[in-house]
Amino acid sequence: MEKRQSTEIDLKRTIITAILGYVCLVVLFYVLAGHQLHFRASRGNLEIPPAEAGTVELAQGAVVEQSFSVKIQRLQSISVQWGTYYRPNSGTVTMELVDQRDGSIVMSQSFDAAAIPEGGFTTMTTEESIETVYGVPLLLRLYADSQPGSAASPLMCLTVSEQDDAVPFTLMLNGEPTEGVLCFSVTGEDYIWTGLHYWEFAAAFGAVLALAAVLIWRRYKKGKRSYVVNALVAMRKYRFLIRQLVGRDFKTKYKRSVLGVFWSFLNPLLTMAVQYVVFSNLFRFDVPYYPAYLIIGIVFFNFFSEATNMALSSIIGNAGLITKVYVPKYIYPLTRVLSSLVNLVISLIPLLLVTVVSGIVPTKAYLLVPFSLLCLTVFSLGIGLLLSALMVFFRDVQFLWGVLSMIWMYLTPIFYPASILPKNIAWVLDVNPLYYFITFARTCFMDGISPEPIMYVQCFLMAMGALLVGALVFRKAQDRFVLYL
Amino acid sequence: MGKTVIEVNDVTMRFRMNNDRIMSLKEFVTTAIRGKLEYNEFTALDHVSFTVEQGQTLGLIGRNGAGKSTMLKVISGILKPTEGTVRTEGNIVPMLELGSGFDFDLTGRENIFLNGSILGYSEAFLKEQYERILEFSELGQFIDTPIRNYSSGMLARLAFSVASMVEPEILIVDEILSVGDAAFQEKSRARMLELMGGGTTVLFVSHSMEQIREMCDKVIWLEQGHVKMAGPTDEVCGAYVL
Repeated sequence: MEKRQSTEIDLKRTIITAILGYVCLVVLFYVLAGHQLHFRASRGNLEIPPAEAGTVELAQGAVVEQSFSVKIQRLQSISVQWGTYYRPNSGTVTMELVDQRDGSIVMSQSFDAAAIPEGGFTTMTTEESIETVYGVPLLLRLYADSQPGSAASPLMCLTVSEQDDAVPFTLMLNGEPTEGVLCFSVTGEDYIWTGLHYWEFAAAFGAVLALAAVLIWRRYKKGKRSYVVNALVAMRKYRFLIRQLVGRDFKTKYKRSVLGVFWSFLNPLLTMAVQYVVFSNLFRFDVPYYPAYLIIGIVFFNFFSEATNMALSSIIGNAGLITKVYVPKYIYPLTRVLSSLVNLVISLIPLLLVTVVSGIVPTKAYLLVPFSLLCLTVFSLGIGLLLSALMVFFRDVQFLWGVLSMIWMYLTPIFYPASILPKNIAWVLDVNPLYYFITFARTCFMDGISPEPIMYVQCFLMAMGALLVGALVFRKAQDRFVLYL
Repeated sequence: MGKTVIEVNDVTMRFRMNNDRIMSLKEFVTTAIRGKLEYNEFTALDHVSFTVEQGQTLGLIGRNGAGKSTMLKVISGILKPTEGTVRTEGNIVPMLELGSGFDFDLTGRENIFLNGSILGYSEAFLKEQYERILEFSELGQFIDTPIRNYSSGMLARLAFSVASMVEPEILIVDEILSVGDAAFQEKSRARMLELMGGGTTVLFVSHSMEQIREMCDKVIWLEQGHVKMAGPTDEVCGAYVL
């Protein structure tokens, strides 16, 4: 039996496990990310312009033609907005998409004019995405077989926005060119380059990993130490200590309360309930599945706030130990963040409960959420390390952080939708890592799909950036801690 | 003579002492701007060298502020020396002061494991030693009570039991042999002597010449950071009293 905590590691097994784990993750991710790995909503999608006037009464013989071009790689649907003169209409209207190069009809669909409400849309969708019309001059033709007096009219926008496309948008009403643009929208998807080359990327990164593994292995065999081996040794050596410290934090947190650990999931529920009542009655934000939207934000931000606040006092709080026993000092902030993580995992239960009650159907995208949790944890650890080191030298940091984290909370769309931020401060969201982590989770939970691949990269880089800064500051300062405690 | 387990090599420890201990950011910034950030250097240890062999008990004596506690901290790795090196072999276990390393909301049992893990022992080892630690501490049924309800004597017994029953390679004792009641004091003294006989290296700081004479093989007398005298117990103790 080992008396002291062992520092022996089985490097071979670790490396093999790591590589197998990588392969599993790559495959799992491919399955989970699915469609979103390859396609994203096209940046060339055309939005519907505001309806300002009717075109012509689309009775038999009348024809409305809009020429246009779009930079959409996979065109999927076209919508047109209609006016009905506020009367019941009859007949059928037909939408046709024509390729102007050879005059061939690409899409065509007919709709019952009687079913179109005032200001309503007809949407023509394809079963198979059309991939041949990127940047090609197209023509959208509308005609009908209705009688005058019971025919609908497509709407148009009189002001034409600046066009820089090679193909000018022209609107022809019964063959007459007209100033303005038809109220229509075109949507589709673009390929994501990285997604198309997913297996190549995965293989290349795998090769780099394997190469690193070989190098580490050779250094290890020669008896030299490398960062990775040192980290593994430390992990093994301090595993028991970390478990004990996390256990302590957890046990003492609710030790003298009646409901105990139950508070970990009551807390987010109650916060959500209060904010739901306040904000759905007072401000009436128009967010679908608002309770779910709220609780995701609350759970994520609460974790961040709890982890950083606990880490903040971790060094000065353990002063008695630090001045007596040698233990790597990063252990203290690390265990505080980990014990908050235990709390976070528990509070996922009420989170899931709320999403189910809100009527969101669980999808496989839920399995991608741990990625955002991991990034959030790493990010909080980075901030925690930084704060705990600063706290030793300047006790003001705790009060400062109280204010800062409150500002941070209000700048993160937790209870309000991101869209209500005025344009001039919207940039704050782009530099707010918490917004990225929360949005990531909301996409998985509420839309049931994987975020775009670029989101993974952004979340990962932000988390690692914070950790790097925190760890560097901490490492530089840690030898002087004892003198200031 | 056994192998060398502690080697202190030309260690110098200098502290930078602020003229005023600045603890707030505002003060720091304002003094920095005024250009008044001055530091006084204070040398706590000045080129100290010595070695300790396995199983030896080394006494550190000297007046208050002579650098004894600093020396212990440097040896246990808590302080990094400004110059010089310290090489140690084996687990260093400090006999913790009352309370440090304990969590007062946890029970005695939980604290034994918490403390043991902080001292670097494995779970399996602590489980095996648990009964012995409990028995030695004489805490009995109180072991499952949160230690905030313990008396100071009970706390001290628990601390001593954990530190001494795990059989450390190097034990650091900073002035705590007056633990518990007379009977427990006698028992802990016996345990100390037993440990020393069993190959544990002990670093012992005390102002009691009586204890030093009884326990130590070798004594180092520090004065203002210098080694004033080092050698066999009787010789150094004799000179110190003078």
